[in-house]
Amino acid sequence: MKILVVGGGTGGTIVANNLSRRLAREIRAGKVVITMLSASERHMYQPGLLYVAFGQMSPDELYRDQASLLEPSIAFHVDPVTNFDLDQNRVRTQSGSTHEYDILVIATGSRIVPEEIPGLAEGAEHFFTEEGALRLHKRLMQFEGGTVALTVSIPHKCPVAPVEAMFMLHDFFKARGIRDKVRLRYHYPVNHVHATANVARWAKPEFDEAGIEYETLFNVKEIDPARKVIHSEEGTEVSYDLLIAIPPHRGMEVIEQNKLGDGGWIPTDRYKLTMDGHDNVYVIGDATNVPVSKTGSAAHYEAELVAENVASFIKTGAPGREYDGRVYCFIEAGFDRATYNSFDYVNLPELKRPTKSVHWFKVAYNQMYWTTVRGVL
Amino acid sequence: MSNLTENAPAAASPAPPNYAQELEQLADLALLVASARDAMSDEMVARLARSFSEGVALLDRLTRNEGLMRLLQVLDRPETQHLLLGFSKALSQMSREVAIAPPARGGIAGIWQLVREPGTQEALRSLSVLGQYWSESMRELDRQATQGRTST
Repeated sequence: MKILVVGGGTGGTIVANNLSRRLAREIRAGKVVITMLSASERHMYQPGLLYVAFGQMSPDELYRDQASLLEPSIAFHVDPVTNFDLDQNRVRTQSGSTHEYDILVIATGSRIVPEEIPGLAEGAEHFFTEEGALRLHKRLMQFEGGTVALTVSIPHKCPVAPVEAMFMLHDFFKARGIRDKVRLRYHYPVNHVHATANVARWAKPEFDEAGIEYETLFNVKEIDPARKVIHSEEGTEVSYDLLIAIPPHRGMEVIEQNKLGDGGWIPTDRYKLTMDGHDNVYVIGDATNVPVSKTGSAAHYEAELVAENVASFIKTGAPGREYDGRVYCFIEAGFDRATYNSFDYVNLPELKRPTKSVHWFKVAYNQMYWTTVRGVL
Repeated sequence: MSNLTENAPAAASPAPPNYAQELEQLADLALLVASARDAMSDEMVARLARSFSEGVALLDRLTRNEGLMRLLQVLDRPETQHLLLGFSKALSQMSREVAIAPPARGGIAGIWQLVREPGTQEALRSLSVLGQYWSESMRELDRQATQGRTST
């Protein structure tokens, strides 16, 4: 039985390690072979980028060698897939190799596409890449006063990131002693401060207390970097001194090029996590079109479920359980307070009062992540 | 009428609860927690979590390492422990003797003299027997590796 995992991010790494543990006996007996194909030899802890932007983590803390995170029984190749031949159960890679499989797990993630909004790439900062987060940090350190605007384009990964960024901006400028010289403006595309009603209900009074201004139903149409003006689809204009954008996201190019899903999002059964029309192809993490947040947490729970089901299928001939849409996200409410967001397909999140203890839990998790992807925790 | 009751010692009644003292203890504890919390920083929490995380990962690797577990089982046997202790003692004695022995003169005569020593002959015999068993173990390892490659 050949299991092929495409993508070495959070989801791909957890699914491969989890399978390797569950199928250790079968692997030793030569009955199962697990292979991972990744685009990079390094693994990045993406949620850490927000902390890099605020000078709370250094970029080198965000990386580990991918091979060091994988179980020794996993055959790991840095050789990204270029062609998916799902009808023939094989993929072709950049180096020209062909890998056949019995079970395929696609965990290719997502990417930012700021170029889809005119002026956004030139006029706005962001924290979704290492370079972007470092540049934003420099800009924030140089900022001496004026209007900082944050805009949100959808879809994007980590749905609570815009809210967290606003609270962290508030505490950042407060710590620098210039909060009174900075006007913080938050622009969100739906008619609440967050798409999740309970998050919006919690965040709104917190924004009011922190003196953060907000404008809802604001969909970014175009940025004029020369005049420093944001134009919205709704016809309004907002000027800024520093613009931070949550750029729109798409699935990876290889998914679009192979026509596996519109916008790079692969049509996926929300319970089984199999690709529509292909029972031996599983899709996890950002690459799915499943109606849950595009977060590492969702990828984690999905990966565990897929590993459990694939192992169960190999051992007993039937999968074990279905994905219930579970997601757990920390929400930083500044530099020293945090709360969390836990929900699934049925149960909505109930946000608690932010505390220092939860903030420390998040700080601790930033380090424990490496144990999580190894499949230990 | 009996006076037994009057003369009997009074039954010990429970001491009245000292709420003030208990509250003070609770306040002390809260102060301790608050003080620890104030003394901690994000960096300390991160360092602690990093150590914990790496420790757990290491423990996981070690406990799932079958070779290491077999090695520990071997080390658990009294004869293995005796052997290792004996080896350690011999190493220590050897290093002391070598340190004070005059430098070797070299040449065939020196080798001839060394070979005539009973200790040298014992050592050669031990090494020869060790080599014989070690070779068998190496061949077994190679057989297992070949089987693994064939079945994959």
